Amino acid sequence: MADEIKDMMTPAYDKKKKKEPSHTRKHSKTSTIMLAVLVLVLILVPFVFAATSQEIYTRILTIIGLYLILALGLNILVGYAGQLDFGRIAFYAAGAYAGMIIGLIVANALPAQFAGLSFIVAILAGVAGAALLGGILSLAVLRLRGDYLTIVTLGFAEIIRVSAQNNILHLTGGAAGIPTAGKNLPMPIGLAWLQKNLYIPLGNSNYSISFSANIYWYLLILLFVIIAIIITRRQENSRTGRAWAALKDDDVAARAMGINTTKTKTSAIMMSAIWGGVAGALFAYVQGMVSPETFAFFGSILVLAIVVIGGMGSTKGVIIGAIIIYGTPELIRAFAGPSGLPFIMWQLPLSQNVVATIANYRNLVLGLLMVVMMAWRPDGIIPMVRPKRFLTTEAQKKIEGSAGDSTVDPNSASASAVPAEEDLVKAGDAA
Amino acid sequence: MNYFLAQLVNGITLGGMYALIALGYTMVYGVLLMINFAHSEMFMSGAYIGLGTLLLLSNAGTQNAICKVLPFLSFFKSLRSFFTGSTVGLIIMFIIILAVSAVLVGCLGMLTERFAYRPLRHAPRLAPLISALGVSIFLQNAFLLWIAPNKPFNLPAVVAKAAIVDLSGKNLSLGITPLRIIIVATSVILLIVLDLFIARTRVGKAMRATSQDQDAAGLMGINVNSVIALTFFIGPALGGIAGVFSGAYYGTVTYNMGFMPGIKSFTAAVIGGIGNLRGAMLGGFMLGLIESLSQAYISASYKDVITFVILIVILIFRPGGLLGSSVVEKV
Amino acid sequence: MKKNHRIVFGVMAALLTLALILTGCGSGGGSGSTTKTFNVGFGGPITQGDVAFGQGGLRAVQLAIANANKSQEAKDLKIQFKVIQGDDQSLADVGTTVANQFVSDKSMVGAVAHFNSTVSIAASKVYHENNFVQISYGSTNPALTQQGFKNVFRTCATDDLQGPTGANRATALGFKSVALIDDSSPYGQGLVAAFKDQFVKNGGTVVYQASTQQKQNDFTAVVTKIASVKPDLVYFGGTYAPDTGAGALLCKQLKSGGVTVPMMGGDGLYAPEFISGAGATAAEGSYATCPGMPVELLPNGKQFAADYTAMFPGQQPAPFDAYAYDAANAIINATYSVAKDLGVNKVTSPAGKDALIKAVAASNFDGVTGKVSFDSKGDPNNKVITLYKVVNGKWEAQADK
Repeated sequence: MADEIKDMMTPAYDKKKKKEPSHTRKHSKTSTIMLAVLVLVLILVPFVFAATSQEIYTRILTIIGLYLILALGLNILVGYAGQLDFGRIAFYAAGAYAGMIIGLIVANALPAQFAGLSFIVAILAGVAGAALLGGILSLAVLRLRGDYLTIVTLGFAEIIRVSAQNNILHLTGGAAGIPTAGKNLPMPIGLAWLQKNLYIPLGNSNYSISFSANIYWYLLILLFVIIAIIITRRQENSRTGRAWAALKDDDVAARAMGINTTKTKTSAIMMSAIWGGVAGALFAYVQGMVSPETFAFFGSILVLAIVVIGGMGSTKGVIIGAIIIYGTPELIRAFAGPSGLPFIMWQLPLSQNVVATIANYRNLVLGLLMVVMMAWRPDGIIPMVRPKRFLTTEAQKKIEGSAGDSTVDPNSASASAVPAEEDLVKAGDAA
Repeated sequence: MNYFLAQLVNGITLGGMYALIALGYTMVYGVLLMINFAHSEMFMSGAYIGLGTLLLLSNAGTQNAICKVLPFLSFFKSLRSFFTGSTVGLIIMFIIILAVSAVLVGCLGMLTERFAYRPLRHAPRLAPLISALGVSIFLQNAFLLWIAPNKPFNLPAVVAKAAIVDLSGKNLSLGITPLRIIIVATSVILLIVLDLFIARTRVGKAMRATSQDQDAAGLMGINVNSVIALTFFIGPALGGIAGVFSGAYYGTVTYNMGFMPGIKSFTAAVIGGIGNLRGAMLGGFMLGLIESLSQAYISASYKDVITFVILIVILIFRPGGLLGSSVVEKV
Repeated sequence: MKKNHRIVFGVMAALLTLALILTGCGSGGGSGSTTKTFNVGFGGPITQGDVAFGQGGLRAVQLAIANANKSQEAKDLKIQFKVIQGDDQSLADVGTTVANQFVSDKSMVGAVAHFNSTVSIAASKVYHENNFVQISYGSTNPALTQQGFKNVFRTCATDDLQGPTGANRATALGFKSVALIDDSSPYGQGLVAAFKDQFVKNGGTVVYQASTQQKQNDFTAVVTKIASVKPDLVYFGGTYAPDTGAGALLCKQLKSGGVTVPMMGGDGLYAPEFISGAGATAAEGSYATCPGMPVELLPNGKQFAADYTAMFPGQQPAPFDAYAYDAANAIINATYSVAKDLGVNKVTSPAGKDALIKAVAASNFDGVTGKVSFDSKGDPNNKVITLYKVVNGKWEAQADK
């Protein structure tokens, strides 16, 4: 009997294909190879850009990476735990300032050869700073729900920005930011060596592959993005992740089930804050300086748009979202520049005015894009697929058939309307 | 004492404008449970439309240019001297500007609802939010690129001379001028009117029913789409009126003038209890007072910080806002 | 493969292919004609932020390029110039992206970039790494040139020059107490700090100090406070534009609020739009310091103003536009000299870029703001600061007493 039922096991939405869907297998070999190839391509791509001196694309990818880390953090709060957060930029700022401040102190304290290691300490400092802020925020929002929590996060972000602008505790350098005049962050470890030794001139005298700082930071951020993806996905399937999902669905029921909602909410805020801190510290080093106007409310909006448009709760969705939301305006801008498509491919002599106008329209297009995407795919481009359990149609028929048979003994196991545990198919691993 | 009173006057005037905008936020939230981020752009559009109307009615250059294209509007030229000459004329012109602005911004609000939010009626809660953000970004850039290319507009001299706008005209030592009285009075009157409208009329009842439960209201025979459209007319119209006041009070309109007042007004609506009309009014005036008084007595640099800290403190002790109902428990 | 996987891989593959095509063809856009076109970059806030200054600077650079393209020297060397805009929105990270875009452009000889100090400082690291000429036309924070980058210059004066000069002139005019307001921008905060130091050293007192926010337009509370403390002078560090520092609005509200003492500021206030924004009656009697000699006294200045209004009807040049014009000309002149030394085709080669930097550093010509030349740090040698006062609705230069 069990075998027959097993034979009928295909999830409802794959009945057309009549074969076992891929997600019930472990990650297939093909999948893993494709992932590996993708990662390899991503590692090599900046060198291609450097060879043709199109550094701008490396830079765009780097910033997309940073937003991605931020968005993954927000994804925890919004996607997994269901709390809307407008204060993303506060943690970004905390990470950036903490990272920069501690980084400068450490760089000055260490002897010159090791100064390059300061960025590791800076990242830790950024995490600590953001976590601290996250803790404070948790205290403030303990009793709040829904939109009230949202507005508090907004206020929080503005508090951080204005305080930084006003040079609070003489730490943040006011509107001009830090580092102040004359001080500079040391080059990260290994960069100088790589720049000297990894210089490959190509035939033509104007082109060469050199290991610029852009590439260094791009690779480092790529590393962190991969780490972030791995950690967040692991967490999602852990006990904490399930607690978050319960909180999102119905926090009263969650409490009834014995989940400590306070601790769960706090852990969601802290984890998402930590990623904000990592991104912030990295940003401080990529940019070389931090100043308060970078941390305006618009940044929070952008990250939120990434998560929602990409698909709340789904990692791949967030990746797509980051590429679209950040990439679109920048690509429009690059499109209209001298290295852009119409000029390169079709030698179109677009007048400067037209080109500049197209570039200046990029934010308009972004706004329109947001509205259109929401109307088209309200759940996000790649919505999160929650673990569900389905009966196949055949099994259902069988059970309905048995139930319609009046001679069935209700105590007999085979006529049980409740399928045994192993007969159910677990559909839809978290995307 | 005088200093305190003068700052009080500042705060109440500012509060009046915040209250008008907050009413718009709270009405939309009450009916749709949605934060309408585009509302700050309604405020900005109101200011622009008001300025445009003003120019149309009182500026020779504009009128000549328009009449070349639309000759049947030339009767406005004859009205010009009436409008700019006498006090009565100025008052009538102001009322016309307010009315035109309110109606047009209300229509703009209905348009955004129809195209940006209605398709998302049954989507997850965050979708209309992002859509609203998109509309906001779009409108800001649209005004920047198409209407205000590079310079912020300034009120033309003919109005600046007028007693209504001149802040130093009938200046008592407390700074109470006709314009300030108008702003505060209009806010309070509009609140009372709106309150009565929602509480006493049939349409108001329909709105209350829709905000409680959309589906049940539909089953009771209420045209939910109409009610929502009406909400999106009234709310943005109020924002538009606030925009005209802001343009008149400060004497300038720019494409991003809606951003900060929008955030502050939304905060005001939350402080008062979001969804609650009287709460929005209370929150608006409170916020204006807090801003002025904190600048006066604590620090101008940290005024926003103080505002938000007070917000957080209020929410800690009353998680539903000051006049809000205690948060609904899903049982 | 999972449907979702497919979408992700598909999108990323498409984007990467697109990017590779773009870069692969990046070198193919050469022209076969005999005139060589060089690009001059302009980085500034064009659509957001200090838009007035970004767009003004852009116009000035466009004017400089147009004049250069008509000049005899360009015809002799068979060179033409083109302006490439980079909108940095007054944000440091966007400015860095713009910088990356500029340094990727193989025909670009230099950039007049940026306006805001934080943007210039952040972007300068990219320009420095790529040995690329950067001349800022509006960044006044001293930190920009203290980094020791040989390729970074500026044509505007620094805060630590303008602030003390303003303070000295204020003391000389008899003002003993001051209320200090800054607009929370790096420019404003830096200027106010420098002014305050000198003013206090001269024996003056500060009765009130506050910061206003960017985009703020309600100053009524601050005005009431100032009216109650009754200073001799109100010093405002910031720009006049209503969508950023709102100096013009502050002036208007001060006068409506019954504050009769004059307002004083830096080159952020010295623009015709300040007067039109505040209203002629309110602005009457206001002061502003501005680096450079008064425009009327410079032959080039009058010509510049005339050309500007001819090319852009309805617009008037502001002081930062003049700095941008001089900066553009410094780049143009450097291009000419390198083209003569190394040949037109080598101007953007690595050796050519070095030569460009040296040529800019050695600039010495008559610009719109006076003689244009740079000291060893990259700051302008032109250290003249003039005080202007609004008299009868127009800015008038005030002679030193």
